[in-house]
Amino acid sequence: MATNQNHVSLHDLTHVFADGRRSLTALAGITLDVPLGQFTSVIGPSGCGKSTLLQIVGGLLEPTEGRTLVHGDPPRKAQRAREIGFVFQDPSLLPWRSVAQNISLPLEVDHLERSRELPGLDNVLELVGLSEFHDYHPHELSGGMQQRVALARALAFNPALLLMDEPFGAVDEITRSSLRYELLRIWEGHGGQAGRKTVLFVTHSVSEAITLSDRVIVLSKRPGTVRADIAIELERPRTEEMEQTRQFLDYAAELRRLLKEDPE
Amino acid sequence: MSIKELAQRPLRSILAYVVPPTVLLIGIIAFWEFYIDWRDVSIIVVPPPSAIIERFFEKPDFFWEQGWYTLYEATLGLLFGSLAAIALAIVMAHSKLAERTFLPLAIAIKVMPIVAVAPVFVIIFGFGTTPKIIVAALLSFFPMLVNATTGFRAVNEGAHSFMRSVHASPWQVFWKLRVPSAMPYLFIALKITYPLALIGAVVAEWFTGNRGLGVVIWSANQDLNTPTLFAAVGVLAFIGVTINIVLSLIERRVLFWHESVRSTT
Repeated sequence: MATNQNHVSLHDLTHVFADGRRSLTALAGITLDVPLGQFTSVIGPSGCGKSTLLQIVGGLLEPTEGRTLVHGDPPRKAQRAREIGFVFQDPSLLPWRSVAQNISLPLEVDHLERSRELPGLDNVLELVGLSEFHDYHPHELSGGMQQRVALARALAFNPALLLMDEPFGAVDEITRSSLRYELLRIWEGHGGQAGRKTVLFVTHSVSEAITLSDRVIVLSKRPGTVRADIAIELERPRTEEMEQTRQFLDYAAELRRLLKEDPE
Repeated sequence: MSIKELAQRPLRSILAYVVPPTVLLIGIIAFWEFYIDWRDVSIIVVPPPSAIIERFFEKPDFFWEQGWYTLYEATLGLLFGSLAAIALAIVMAHSKLAERTFLPLAIAIKVMPIVAVAPVFVIIFGFGTTPKIIVAALLSFFPMLVNATTGFRAVNEGAHSFMRSVHASPWQVFWKLRVPSAMPYLFIALKITYPLALIGAVVAEWFTGNRGLGVVIWSANQDLNTPTLFAAVGVLAFIGVTINIVLSLIERRVLFWHESVRSTT
């Protein structure tokens, strides 16, 4: 498999929510290719269809029109092959299961035995810094820790594609910033340049998008279309100091301008 | 405050929770005894507590045995009623069409005055335990159905999406997500339906049969034998309270993760 192959490929994607009497066009003609191993953020005003886009890529939602391919296959097939790791804004853990049991949930539903290298529960827990909390239950953890469990759950079966829907949206600003760099540490450290996971990251934070991404897609107001596609050419590994550099601030200004100037 | 927690606490704080209601109960009984003595109320109208307690201890085995029959009928009725309700709830939680089809009939069962229909069951099913079990089952059916339907639907949207994103089968979603999510609702339902099943069994016993607390109450009423009547009611109340305590203890263990349990610890 060539490394320059597109991991996610969306062609003329349109989605309309209809309930009989009213219809709402969430996405209108999105065409987007995400290469293997790229960290791509999708940013846009509230209600622009960012989450809808992610749900379509993850095979949770069938688009009204258009074609979605993950590794050249329909998303449902990628699901079956356990290629998709989802992290939501709400940690969405099962409260009756311990941290370890939550993380092993995706391994239990694995009906398709695959010869895949699994990172192992202890390694995943260590990766997200929760080794001590193996037997804790979600209600005993803080919001930030719960979100790290959700990340560990998505990493546990080593999927090639991570879909993250505002994963740090529900935690406080300080935790949010530290989780951001923790995610970078995990992602950048994952098997070198070639072995990195492809990430599709939905956010409405400009600085989060720049800090994390190789590329930022700006969506327009509803119905969502691709308004801009910006490469973020900051060095990796990214550090907190970079947030003060000229280059970072220029990106931020440009993104803010794009988000603000969105025509009615 | 739970019993489990009480057990872990020092004696003084256990007393703090047990003493006030006990004092109240003793106060009520004392006032009752005193009032009947003072106004010279006939034992045919209301017996004094001393006469009730005396009657119970004349033949405790008899009262326990009758209570046991009633509890047995109520429990079997509850079991059948709940199983039917849960099975239907699972179907209804998955299909709006099924809900539209079955719910009106279930509501019809609910609004039907079961007590008035009980004699019909006696005619159909005879004088054995069957009509009692059926009445108990019918009374427990509806609250269980409504709670279980809500419960099987009360799944965390994100957790459901996550399971779908790893291609979990509907069967896996059901066992790993829907069933545990429904547990708090099933416990609420049991706390409502167990007493209802007891009522159903007792009422069915009024009409037929030769054993059970309902029979004792009915025949004591015919004989104006109020101490026996009240003693039977007391045993019934004791059974109801015990069931509630046992259910709460189990709930604590099973639902340690749920807000309803955590908020009281």
